[in-house]
Amino acid sequence: MHGWTGSILRINLSTKSFRRESYGEDFARTWVGGRGFAAKILYEEVPPGTDPLGPDNKFIVALGPIAGIPAPNTGKAVVAAKSPLTGFYGDGNLGTRVSEHLRKAGYDALIIEGKADRPTMLFIEDNKVEFLPAGEVWGKGTYATNDFIYKKYGAGVGVLNIGQGGENLVRYAVVRSLEGRAGGRPGMGAVMGSKLLKAIVVKGTRPIPQADPQAMKALGFGDLKKVGQIDKETGWSIQSTTGVLAWCNEVAGLPVRNFRKTHHPEAWKIDGERLNNARIATYGCPNCTMRCGITIHDREGRESELDYENIGLLGSNLEIFELDQVGSLNYLCDEYGLDTMSAGCVLSFYADAIEHGAASGDFKFGDAETAKNLLTMAAHRDGQVGNLLADGSLRMARAFGRGSEAYAMQVKGLEVAAYNCKFIPGQALAFGVAAIGAHHREAWIITFELKHSTRESYGPEKAAKVIELQRIRGGMFEFLVACRFPWIELGWGLDNYPKYFNATTGLNWGLDDMWRVADRIYGLIKLNYLREFPHATRQGDYPPAVWFDPANADTDGPIAGRVLERDKYDGLLQHYYDQRGYDHRGIPTRATLARLGLEKEAAAAEKYGSLT
Amino acid sequence: MKVRVKLIGPLMYEAGFSEKDIELPEASTIEALLSMLTLSKRRPRIVTRNGRAIVPQDILEEGDRIAVSPLYSGG
Repeated sequence: MHGWTGSILRINLSTKSFRRESYGEDFARTWVGGRGFAAKILYEEVPPGTDPLGPDNKFIVALGPIAGIPAPNTGKAVVAAKSPLTGFYGDGNLGTRVSEHLRKAGYDALIIEGKADRPTMLFIEDNKVEFLPAGEVWGKGTYATNDFIYKKYGAGVGVLNIGQGGENLVRYAVVRSLEGRAGGRPGMGAVMGSKLLKAIVVKGTRPIPQADPQAMKALGFGDLKKVGQIDKETGWSIQSTTGVLAWCNEVAGLPVRNFRKTHHPEAWKIDGERLNNARIATYGCPNCTMRCGITIHDREGRESELDYENIGLLGSNLEIFELDQVGSLNYLCDEYGLDTMSAGCVLSFYADAIEHGAASGDFKFGDAETAKNLLTMAAHRDGQVGNLLADGSLRMARAFGRGSEAYAMQVKGLEVAAYNCKFIPGQALAFGVAAIGAHHREAWIITFELKHSTRESYGPEKAAKVIELQRIRGGMFEFLVACRFPWIELGWGLDNYPKYFNATTGLNWGLDDMWRVADRIYGLIKLNYLREFPHATRQGDYPPAVWFDPANADTDGPIAGRVLERDKYDGLLQHYYDQRGYDHRGIPTRATLARLGLEKEAAAAEKYGSLT
Repeated sequence: MKVRVKLIGPLMYEAGFSEKDIELPEASTIEALLSMLTLSKRRPRIVTRNGRAIVPQDILEEGDRIAVSPLYSGG
């Protein structure tokens, strides 16, 4: 077997033991890596009902056959666990040198189980694993922790760490790496924190097994150079992801005031042009030639690395239009290890709930200084308010009552990314049926809706586009594992990825083979969801109710008077189910599961929930 | 006839401006407007008028707000 190391490292924090476990070619070809490995391991090893913040949950780091190999943009890792935010499978990816080092240490994945008896840091070096006390950095932020690790092991090692948010079990705490990298929105950092695991440091020194290393090297380095050239020609990374902010404002798709408004006359103050003008540094992931981490000085003079989602949700959505203040909120999230997107939605929901009389407090939209204090309180679970904010918007809404769940901007508990779908039906569907909750990572179809369909359409073409993109973005890029940006932002050909896969594995796969694996992974995650929520209905695939509320319609601009229509959305959802081969609840049918090769997994699911 | 043109993302560096009014003859098309801008034709774009997508043959009207953007695929 080439391309895969054939080994997984299992570490038990309770017993301070570890072992190398082998897996075979069948497992490799069925699940490939990354999200595929993580979903399968968690399905087999974490039974439904497991406390996500208890010792029986498992924290997975998973890589794929092209992860860590020089090729466009392979310096990423998937982190996964049962989510403390959503209650079922959760994951995320982040740029990290762990990708290369773990593979060079001879592993394609880590399974971390149990719970340490004191704050612990793991140091993995080839065959060796050390369990080190982390008391010196426990209670410190991710920047200080990273510096401590670099001082001890050198700046070239692979690091995953958490901040105070993860330590204090904030349900949307993320895992952090390098200068500004973060991943694992649905509380993967809290799962590390629950195990008293402050950091994982990895150093690998051996070659990654490949079918044809020379061919892969020539192909990979050549293509990295080409991607860099396309970036220079197009100027994409001048504004990186933040270019889209001004466009969202033009087409009424920007989150403003907890998504109640879709555009704002002051949005230009925090757009990509202003961000680029304020730039003091640029950071990026390993194996990347289109670095997107535009960094500015925040209000307090610290370095803060921003992207569109951060600015949309910590800026316009809170009606904060001072870029350095947005930078400060973003810095605090990064330092504490909080997901910037969920944090932005939690704060906007809190302000909205106060305004609508569902909660008491003095936080208002536009109040950056109070927002900073609230983030600090959430990260430390300080007092009643800090504890509320740390639990995410859905749990807050259930505590507040008074109909506030309608404007808690989340799906399945995961907060919505920075695209306001008040009248963008296809993207609302993309959020509704994203595998782990309202993430933009898996399908983003807004320009398709406007240019190749019509905004008003709830037709099957939009469901088909969501599925196509889920296969590419939530599937292939998440199991190979590589960053999707060369393709989505620069048009780098999708057919390059089977080439990388084949050069390293020696197989002869095409894109259709990738889509089959992607569909299998989506099916398995749905089974995971069914096991945890056997009485789930299609309502779980609905976006927030406020997007259907005529009273929330814009009063001016391109979509004045328009909101999503519930019966039509339901029809669009049915198109998606029909095309996927899912039943009326959004669960794959037995026939679909058989087609995906998931008979054994289906039988295991039927102990908990019914299949049709 | 005057229309307001907003260029999104890297297009503003190609054309040398971010947002400005442009004068052009009555009943001009979007295509005519785009030909006045020094934009690379190599990359796919989306053009909106007052927030709604349009095609190159559409006729402009006084006071239109035209946004020209790379065809983003959403981060």
